[in-house]
Amino acid sequence: MKPEERSLQERIDALKMPGAGRNLNLLGRLFVDRGEKTLWERDTQRLPLGARRWRRRAQQFARAHIRPDALAADLDPFGYDPRPILQIATHMGFQTIMLPFPIGNASLTAYLQSTVLQLAVVAEEFAAECGGLALLLLAHHLGCAPLMLSGHIPTMLRHLLPLYWRIRRGTPETLAFAITEPGAGSDVEDTEGATRAHLVTTACKTKGGFILNGRKCFISDGAIADKVTLYAKLDGEGIESWTCFLVEKDMPGFSVGRREHKLGQRAADASELVLEDVFVPSKNVVGRLRSGWANNRNVLNYSRPVVGAMALGHGRGAFEHTLAFCRRTMLGPKRLIDYQDIQLTLSDMLMSLWAARAMIWHSCGQFRCYQSASATAKVVASDIAFKVCNQALELMGDHGYVHDNSAERLWRDSRLTQIYEGTNQINRLALIEHQWETDLDQIPL
Amino acid sequence: MSPAPNGTEELRGFIDVTRTFAAKTVAAIFDGKHPDGDTGKLPAVLDKAFEIGLAASPDRTQPGYEYGIWGSALHQAGLELSAELLAVLAEVCGGIAMNLHVQGLASQVVMHSGRVLPGPLIKVAPAIQEECGLPGYGTLHSPSRDAPARILTEARPAWDGCLVSGTKPFVYAMPGVEAYVLFCRVAGEENWGCFLIPESAAGLQVTPVEHRTGLRACRLAHLTLKDAFIPHADRLDDGNALPLLTRAVSLHWLGIAAIATGIAQGAVRAARKYAAERYQGGTLIENLPAVRMLIAGAEANLEVSRALVRQTAARGPDSPALLRACAIARLATLELCASSVTDALQVFGGYGYMEDYGMEKRLRDVTVLKSSAGTPNYLKQFIFEVAEVKP
Repeated sequence: MKPEERSLQERIDALKMPGAGRNLNLLGRLFVDRGEKTLWERDTQRLPLGARRWRRRAQQFARAHIRPDALAADLDPFGYDPRPILQIATHMGFQTIMLPFPIGNASLTAYLQSTVLQLAVVAEEFAAECGGLALLLLAHHLGCAPLMLSGHIPTMLRHLLPLYWRIRRGTPETLAFAITEPGAGSDVEDTEGATRAHLVTTACKTKGGFILNGRKCFISDGAIADKVTLYAKLDGEGIESWTCFLVEKDMPGFSVGRREHKLGQRAADASELVLEDVFVPSKNVVGRLRSGWANNRNVLNYSRPVVGAMALGHGRGAFEHTLAFCRRTMLGPKRLIDYQDIQLTLSDMLMSLWAARAMIWHSCGQFRCYQSASATAKVVASDIAFKVCNQALELMGDHGYVHDNSAERLWRDSRLTQIYEGTNQINRLALIEHQWETDLDQIPL
Repeated sequence: MSPAPNGTEELRGFIDVTRTFAAKTVAAIFDGKHPDGDTGKLPAVLDKAFEIGLAASPDRTQPGYEYGIWGSALHQAGLELSAELLAVLAEVCGGIAMNLHVQGLASQVVMHSGRVLPGPLIKVAPAIQEECGLPGYGTLHSPSRDAPARILTEARPAWDGCLVSGTKPFVYAMPGVEAYVLFCRVAGEENWGCFLIPESAAGLQVTPVEHRTGLRACRLAHLTLKDAFIPHADRLDDGNALPLLTRAVSLHWLGIAAIATGIAQGAVRAARKYAAERYQGGTLIENLPAVRMLIAGAEANLEVSRALVRQTAARGPDSPALLRACAIARLATLELCASSVTDALQVFGGYGYMEDYGMEKRLRDVTVLKSSAGTPNYLKQFIFEVAEVKP
C-alpha cells in the first residue's frame, strides 16, 4: 500500500520501532531490540538467577497476602494481628533470606555477587503494596544483621544459626534492632554527632553478664519482636564503648512502653523499649565489647540500600495506582492516559523510579556494601519516591487523597524513608565523610 | 454583634481578634488525643466564628455579613483581608480555615447575585466541581457537553423551576450546612446556571467522605442529584451565571493559596521553635547547618508565597485578570508551601513523623490542598487557555 493510501495512524504506527527496523538490512536488524517486555520484566532479567526468582516470588506474595490486608492494617494498626502474615512469610522463606543456603534461603551464587540484592528486590515488591506491612516483615532482617555482621563465630553459632533453624522449620520468630534513644536520634547515625550524643542506655558489668538500664524509642517491630539487638554504652564510658546485646522479651525488667502514632507505615509498630535493671548474660553480648559502634555503622551500610528499595517500592506502587486511575478515568472522549500532558508526568515518574532502581542495584552490586553508595541509594530513592508519590496524588486530583486510594497511603509511607536510617541530611554527610580523603579533600584538581 | 471594621486600624484590629480566636479557641480543640482536633468541639468553635464576625453568611443579620471572610464588603476591605484572615486561621488549623473559606465563598456568590432570600439562611457551601474537575478546558465560558471536561450536571426546566440531575463530588462544607450554591449547565441554554439547593431537598443525596488524608475538620461529601426540584426563586443568576462562577472560582483558588501559606507559616514557626529547644550531641540543633538550610529554605518559599497571595489579592474582586492571577497563585503557592512544610517537618526528624507534634497534620493538610480544586496539569492548561480568551 502506498503511504498516501494509509491513514495517518497507520503511517505513524509504521514509523515506530521496532517495526520500522524492517527497512534496515539484515546486519542492521540485528542491532534492533525487538523484545516487547515490561520494564519490570526487563529489569528482572538483568538480575542474577537467584535474585530473579526471589523477585517474582515476592511479587506474588505481596499481591496475594500484603495487598488484601493493607487498607485495614493502615486504618486500624492497633487492632491488626500480624501473626498470620508473619506465618505465611516465614513459611515462604522470606524471613530467612538475609543469609544464603544452607543456613538461610537466599541463593548462594547471587549472594556471593551481592549480599543484600535479594533482600532489596524483595523489599521493593513488598513496599509497592504497603509500607507498613513491608516494614513489619523486613525489620526482622535489620534485627538479625548485627548478629551476622559482628563476625563473631560464637554469636552466630549460639544465636543466629539456631534462630534461622527455628524459622526455617516454621516458627515465625522476629528480631528488632534498637539504636535510637529519646535524646539521640540522628546522633547515633553520624560519626561526629555520636561523639557528643546524649546516650542514656547503659550496661553495667556484673557477675555472669550485664545489667542494662535506659530507654530506646521508635523501634520498628519493638512491640512484637521476640528478641532485640540493642546497643548500650558501658557504665562510665562514652559512645566508643557501645556494645550490642541480644535482649529477650521475657527477660525481667524489659518492657515495651508507648507505641507511637505515625503518619504512615502504620501497620508496623514503632515502640519505646524500657530497660529497668535487665540482666543480660555474657553469652548474649553480640561480638566483642565496645564493637557496637562499628557494628552499628556497618549494619546501616547494609540496611540503607534496602530502605532505598522500600522507598522505591512506595513510589512504584503509587505510580501503578495512578496509572490504573489514568486508564479507567475518562476526560471527555479520551482516557486520561491518552492526553499528552498526562503522559509527560507519567513518563517523568517512570524515569525517576527507573533511575532510583539503577542506583539501588548499583549500591548493592558487590559483596560488601559501603557507606557512600548505601547512603546515596537511600537518599536518591527516598527523595524520588516522595516526589513520585506527590505527582501521583496531583494527577488524581481530589480522588488522590481518599484512603480507599492506595497511592495516598504510599505517599504517607514514603515520607518516613526520608527520615529513618538517618535523615537524608545525615546520609548526605555520610557520603562526604566516606569519600573525603579519596574524592574531595586530597585529590588534585 | 461586633462592630464592622472599616478603617485600616480597625481592619488590623480585626486581624488581631482573629489571631486571638485562632490561638485560644481553635487551638483548644487540639488536646493531644486527636491529631486533627476534637471534632466534637468543632460546632462551638464555628459558632464562635460567626459570633465574632469572622464567618460570612448570606443572612444580613449575621455579624460577618460584611467583613467576614469573603463577606459583602469585598470592595471596601479588599481581598487581602479575607486572605490574611484565612492564613491566620490556617496557621493553627487548615481544616477550620477551610470551613470558613467555603462558607464565605458560597455566601459571596449569593451576595454577588444581588438576590434577597425569602427566609433566613446561614450556613452554605459551594458545589462547583464536576467529576472531571473544575470548569475549564473550554467550558468556562460555556458549559459544553462536548468539551473534554464535560459539564454533566444539568438543570431542566420543569413547572415553575428546574429539575437538576448529576453529581457534584468533593464538596467541602461546614458541619450543619443548610444549602448548597450549585453551578451547572441549563438545558436549552448556552450559559451557566447557579442555583441554591437546600441540603434537605428531595432528590439530593449527600454521601460523606470519611477516610481521607487531611483537612478533616471540614466536612467533605459527594452530592448526587436525581431530578432534584429547584424553584425559579432559588436561581441566583439572571440567565448567565458566568460572573458568579468566575468570582467563585477566583476566590476559591485565592483562598486555597492563602490557607496554604497559613499552614506553611505554622510549620515554619514550629520548626524554628523546635530547633531552638532541641539539643543533639550537646548543641542546639538550630546551630547545625543542615537544620539552618532547611529552615531558611522553608522561610524563603513561604515569603514568596505570601508575596504572591498579597499581590494577587491586591487586584480587587472586579479585576478582569483576577481569575488567571488566582490560578497562577494557586499553582505556584501550593508547590512552594508544600515544600516549606515538608522541610519544616524534616527539622523534627522522627518526631516530625509522629502525630504528637502536629507537623504530620500540616503536611497532610497542605497536600490535600495541593490536589483540591484543580490539579497542576489542569491549572497549567487553564492558565494557558484563559490568556487566549479575552473576556
